[in-house]
Order: sequence, then C-alpha cells, then structure tokens
Amino acid sequence: MRNEYVSRRGGNAQISWSRNRNTVRHSSGQLGSFSLSAILGMLLLVVGLIYLTQGAKATSYDYEISNIDSEISELTAQKEDLAVEKARLTSVAAAENSQVAANMQDAVASGYANE
Amino acid sequence: MSRIKLLRYGLLVAIGIIAVRLFVIQIFQHDEWTERANAEHISQNTIIAKRGEIYMMENDQPVEVVLNKAAWTVVVDPQVTNREEVEKAFSEIAPDKVVAKWDDVFKDKTRRYYVVARGVEREQVKKLKEKKLAGVWYQEGNERVYPEGDMASALLGFVNAEGKGQYGVEGSLNDTLGGTNGLLKTITDVNNVALSIGDDNVRIPAKDGKNVVLTIDRVLQKKIEKKLAEYLSTSKANHASALVMDPRNGKILTMATIPNYDPANYAKVEDGNLFLNQASDVAYEPASICKTFTFAAAIEEGAMTPETTYNNTGEITVDGWPIKNAHSGELGVISMQTALNYSLNTGSMTALMLLGGSDSEITKTGREKLFDYYYNHFGLGQATGYELNESTGLIQEPNKGYGLNSRYANMTFGQNISLTPLQVAAAFSSLINGGEYYAPTIVAGEITKEGKFVKADEKKAVRRTVTEKTSDTMRAMIWGTRGLQRLYGIDKPGYYIGGKTGTAQGIKDGAYTFDETTGSYIGFGGREGELPEYVIMVKIWEGGQTLEGTADALPLFNLLSDVAIDHFKIKPKG
Repeated sequence: MRNEYVSRRGGNAQISWSRNRNTVRHSSGQLGSFSLSAILGMLLLVVGLIYLTQGAKATSYDYEISNIDSEISELTAQKEDLAVEKARLTSVAAAENSQVAANMQDAVASGYANE
Repeated sequence: MSRIKLLRYGLLVAIGIIAVRLFVIQIFQHDEWTERANAEHISQNTIIAKRGEIYMMENDQPVEVVLNKAAWTVVVDPQVTNREEVEKAFSEIAPDKVVAKWDDVFKDKTRRYYVVARGVEREQVKKLKEKKLAGVWYQEGNERVYPEGDMASALLGFVNAEGKGQYGVEGSLNDTLGGTNGLLKTITDVNNVALSIGDDNVRIPAKDGKNVVLTIDRVLQKKIEKKLAEYLSTSKANHASALVMDPRNGKILTMATIPNYDPANYAKVEDGNLFLNQASDVAYEPASICKTFTFAAAIEEGAMTPETTYNNTGEITVDGWPIKNAHSGELGVISMQTALNYSLNTGSMTALMLLGGSDSEITKTGREKLFDYYYNHFGLGQATGYELNESTGLIQEPNKGYGLNSRYANMTFGQNISLTPLQVAAAFSSLINGGEYYAPTIVAGEITKEGKFVKADEKKAVRRTVTEKTSDTMRAMIWGTRGLQRLYGIDKPGYYIGGKTGTAQGIKDGAYTFDETTGSYIGFGGREGELPEYVIMVKIWEGGQTLEGTADALPLFNLLSDVAIDHFKIKPKG
C-alpha cells in the first residue's frame, strides 16, 4: 500500500516542509463492512464458478463416455452382424445350395463305401 | 386490534402452516418424495447378458451354428401414439416384424403398453426413429440366429420370447448359455445421459453366457439328415431318427430327428412332438436289439457260446403265455448264432434260462443276473449322464411285481422295457469296443471370450460291461447277422460291419399289436481287422403303420453306414 504524507499545517508546502518535517499522519488502512461483504461475495462467486466448471467438465466427460459407449455398442453390433453373415455364407446349407455345388459331380459315385 | 397486529398474526399463521407442511413432507413423507425425485432423475437399466453361442465341430475346428444378433422389441403407448402414423411407418419399414393387430392395439384405451413388433433389425430401428413417432419405445435385446436353418432343430432347441432356452441344448444348458444380467443405476440428465455425479450410482456388469461347443460333426449331421429325409420320402413313415456315436470314446457325432422345424419360428410348430430329441428324450421298446445284451450276459457268465444249441419249437410258454417267434422258420435244433441271425425270441429266452442255470425254465437267479447286466453293466433304464436332459426309461426289477418270468422273457427281446436310443447306443458300443462303457458325451468344450477353444476333459471309460473276450465274441456274432448284406454286396469287402434289427410292437387296448410297429436298427462299422469307428442307431415310425427292423430300418442303416464310411474316409482293408 502506498503511504501518503500530509502536512498538518497546510498552507505553503515549501514552508510547511521547512518548519517541521517530521510531523506526519498515517491514514487508516481498515476496510469497511461493505468492502468485506463484497470481497466475500466475490470469493464465493469464484468458488461457485470453480465448482460449476468442474461439474460441467465432469458432465462433458460423461457425454464423452456416453458417446464412446454408444460407439463401442455400435461396433460390437456390427461385428456380430458380420459374424452372422459369415456364418450364413459358410454354412453347409448355403454351400449346398450354391451355384458351385450345383455344378459339382456327385461324390457318392466315387465314395469309399460304393467302390 | 390494529391492522399491523392483524398482519403480524396472519403472517405467523402462514409461516406456521408452511413449517408444518415442510415438516410433514420432510419427515413423514420423506421416502415417498425421495422416490418421486429419484424417478425423475435416476435411470435404472438392465445390462442384458449376451447368451452363449453354440458350435459344432468340422475338421476338428468349432463352427458356429447358433449365434446372436441385436434385435429390438417395439412398444407403443396407445394413448399417445398416432395410429395412422405408426401403422404407416411399420408397413413401410418393418412389415414382417409386426406381431400385433393394430385394431387390437388401439381397442383398449386404458392400456399404456403394447408390444407391436419383435425382432426388428438395426437399420429398421434407425429408420423408424427418424420418423420421431410419439409414444414409441425401442427395447434392445438379442435374437438367436440359425445359419444352418432347421438343421438339428430337435437337438438344439430354441429360445422363447422371454429369452429362456427350451428343449434340446438351449433348454438343458440354459444356465450355462444364459449368463446373468447386470444393472446400471445412474443419475441422468435430460438427454438420458448417465452422469458420474451422485453417490448412489450402481454398475453391476453382466456375466455373459458361455459359448458351448458340441461334439456333433456339422457336415455329418447335415448329410445324415439329408439321407433320412430322402429315405422318408420313399417310405410310408414320416418320422425317423438317427444317432451316430464314436464307440471308442462315447462322443456323439450326430443326433438327427426328422422332420425338423424352424427354431426361429418355433411358435408356428403345431406338433409339439417335433421339439423332442428322439435319441434321448423319448424312451421306447427297442425290441430285438436287446437280444445282443441278453446273449452277451449269458456268454459273459459262461452259460452259452454262439455255438450252443437248443431246440427251437417256435414258441416257449412262460407263466401260461405262449411267447412266439416273429420268424416262423428255423425250427429244430439250431445254434445261438442262428437264433441271433433270425432274431428268434426263443433263442433269447433260452439264453435267459441258461443264465439262471436251467435249460427249461426262467429262474429267479436268471432274472437277477439279467437285471444286473441290463441295469448295472449296460446302464439300461437309467440316465446315461450325458450333458443334456434325457429320459431315464424304465426297467422292471427282478423280484418286484407280478408275472415276472413272462416280463423277463419279454425283456430278453426288448419288450416290457423302456429305453432311449442313447442308452442303447452307449451300451451297444461297449459290446463291440472291447467291453468298456463310455458315458455318452455331447459337449466338446467351450469358446472363451478371447475366441480360444478350450476342450473338455477327455472322458474315460466308466466301467467294464463285459470282458474283452466276450466283446470279441459279440462283435463277431453281430457281424454274423449281416450275412445277406455281404452276399448281396451291400457290405463291401474290406469293411467290418455288424448290426441288429428290432421291431417293437405297438400297444392297442392295453395289449401288444402288430398293427403298429416301430422299426429300429443298431450297427457298427469300420475297417476290417480294426475296432469299429462308428455306431449308428436308427429308428423309424409312423402312427398306424407297421415299420419293421428288417424291411425299413436296416436299409436306412445301410445308407447311413455308407455316408459314415465316406465321411470318415475309412479305407477298406486290402
């Protein structure tokens, strides 16, 4: 805090300084009740803002988690769909009814049991 | 009273009322208001466990035969939903998934919940959601998918609308396959996004069901079913079943019941019998097949050999009842091998007499010994202990009840006894594999979450049913019954194939009748000079029809035996 030196005698500054240079008065440094309330309010506001920021941050993480969960779920489902499609394509039933199978010769004709 | 005082008292009363109300709400109605508040912002969801998949074997590798696919159930609130909009949307996007009649849905105005569609696919749900239909919810779940269609349906079973396995593998292993659902309880925001704030959040992860691998050979199953269906198309029967087992270890390789049904549309099945796995769920009288067990018991006890002779008069009277042969020939002194070849009931009844130390009557000792072999050695009339549900069948105890001698006389040729084909096949396997009984097994292992195939422990022989010597004798005797098949070139040189027929009479008005019969055949096959590689048991039946072991089941076995030889690539000797 900056100190202010005020002549108690007033008048011509040059005279005052020359007469009694050591006569000074310190101004009071205490805050008033309004200032204290305002500062307290501001501190509370800051704390509140910090809390809200953290809360918002947590919520944004929750949204991120939710999105990632959805993405995982979607990819898992796609993987399952592909597995089902693969199983269908490689099933005996599909192979039997395929065009390739239709053009093949009957294996029974050369089977061990019928040789 | 001054106005200021009046105002003061008024204010005091108002504050008092508010204080009392707050007290009531916060103290007496605390739980109720907490619940209402929680209902507003706490979301509670079930985490659905993924049902285990079912695999079969192919070239020693597991292949999926039952899988899962995400599917949605759509629910509407008839009080909120606009009928025209929702009906139009479904007719455009998912008409095949609608399970309700729209008139019914909107008939009862008090209902707030009506399932209108099931099994709705991902893309369909996406399109429906784009329509932003009011009062419509989408519940995600799993649906079973069967890439092989109706193959092995009676063996596999199905999963009902509540997600519970019914019949077959699905029903028997429901606890293993089903897993345990989890729980997610969190505070959510207006977008229903779970928030991490809050002290009461609960997350219990779901435990997915295990993926089960069956010992069933997928390709063989398909081939056998195809042959069965082809055979039935030329037969007077519409029903047949076949069980293929590896006699060297009890592994079940095929369990086929024809006709099949579509497990994805199980609700459309009208005949509930189609759900039954005929190889293990249904006990019946396998008839003359049991002669092999009777003869084995007598040989094991040293009471007879295949060359032992007796005088075949065509019938034997027991307890005052004449019990006749189905085949009227081969009268006079004949060997036990001949009796087996022609499936003579007098032969098996004589074996029972000899087992009891007599050559002219059935004794208590004979009954007790036969029961001991049937029940304790061969495991007939009781559960085999394989991994799925099974019928135990029924066997008459030797000293309880009435008419025991005639009952036991019938039991020697497979009547008056109730067995499953699975019991018979397991016991028969022990007769021809050197005498060791393996409990049948159908679970080959499991597939871990990481996709690794963990094989089940190899099953060891449970007990010895007969000595190796008796087994060798029985194998030769059973081979001996197929003389005609060899003569006509049905059984090719270099292979060693044996089998036994069975024709079970039906029961009409409490008595046996030949008007309705079930034909059965059990046989083994393999390379000559080596132990058999497969045992096949077939059964063919139709209500009101006579299906015989020799005329109907034996030709079916011949076809399936050829399929097995080709499939296993068994090369003939020489």
